[in-house]
Amino acid sequence: MEKKYWNPYFGGVVLGTMLFLSFVIASQGFGASGTFSRATAQFLVDSDKSWLNNAYIAHYFRHGDNALLNWTVIETIGIFLGGFASALLAGRFMIRPDKAKGYSTLKRLFWALIGGMIIAFATRLTRGCTSGQGLDGMATFSVGAWIFMFSTFAAALIFSPLFRKQWVDENEGGDE
Amino acid sequence: MNDLILPLYKNGFLSPEANFFFAIVLGFAFGFVLERTGFTRSQYIADTFYFKNLAVPKIMGVTIITTTTWFILFAWMGWIDLSALFTPATYVWPYVVGGLLFGFGMVMAGYCPGTAVAGLGTGKSDALLFLLGLFGGMFLYFLLYPMIAGFSSSGNLGVLKLQDLFGGNEYTSYILTVALETGIILFLMLLQKLTNKGEK
Repeated sequence: MEKKYWNPYFGGVVLGTMLFLSFVIASQGFGASGTFSRATAQFLVDSDKSWLNNAYIAHYFRHGDNALLNWTVIETIGIFLGGFASALLAGRFMIRPDKAKGYSTLKRLFWALIGGMIIAFATRLTRGCTSGQGLDGMATFSVGAWIFMFSTFAAALIFSPLFRKQWVDENEGGDE
Repeated sequence: MNDLILPLYKNGFLSPEANFFFAIVLGFAFGFVLERTGFTRSQYIADTFYFKNLAVPKIMGVTIITTTTWFILFAWMGWIDLSALFTPATYVWPYVVGGLLFGFGMVMAGYCPGTAVAGLGTGKSDALLFLLGLFGGMFLYFLLYPMIAGFSSSGNLGVLKLQDLFGGNEYTSYILTVALETGIILFLMLLQKLTNKGEK
């Protein structure tokens, strides 16, 4: 039996206080998608300098030749370590995919890959993900963050029937 | 003019090196809490969209209420300069289209970038594939950028806060934010009751 997750309201108060501390100390909130954009840009430029002709890639190199020397990139390493430490301490570290019982693992991994590609593309249009745009933006009263969150939630609901088999245990026998 | 201490970094009380140290510490705490609250499980996140479990919107809503409450208290005490906090600019059309794409990807993959990074730390193989996908998606965006640069910067309203749109000041935006977040949580709980009436 796994340890139970925190109560959501308690979790929200802890997370909100940490987001506040992040703003108070670093003057910015949490983020993640920028790290992958910068890493991809750095990889491309390292393999071929002509990628610097791409205007989007070039904007990461205006202040130096290392796109990875960035607060969000370092913070993302921390997110990975924090997730690892917490899972170890809670006895939840396990190498496995997350999905409904009986759903094909190969299909699950395929949708995770494609979904990752779509989300990466989307975050470039939205200047951040659910952390860097959603949480940080809503916390600083930004109108754009609300536009982003409403359209994200709407699309997830609209398309949810397509992926029902992947997520919902249809024969769940009263657990939870 | 500006004699406020907070935020530390913008007001010059923190060296870039020290700020990087805090990046690791704060990221660690963020990843830790994401795991403790179940955000590292794609199925747990996807449960939201089938009204099986509303932990995700509840946590997000309470997070925003908590952060903004701290902000308003500190601003009221005269301790923090809220205008120095980084706020993304508002680009209306890219955010609408990007948000729709993001939501489609989210119900497909069950992760967003932050939760997948923490999820990888917990050993989730689907999080690993998701993160590999991110690199592919970024590459695709760079490739197509010359064609979509115009759209990507369309509808630019700059940094636009709720008080700029609805009038008032930071206090009115705070009240509006708390009301919206509370309303959304209650509305989703009502929907959950209606959609799961036969199940449990």
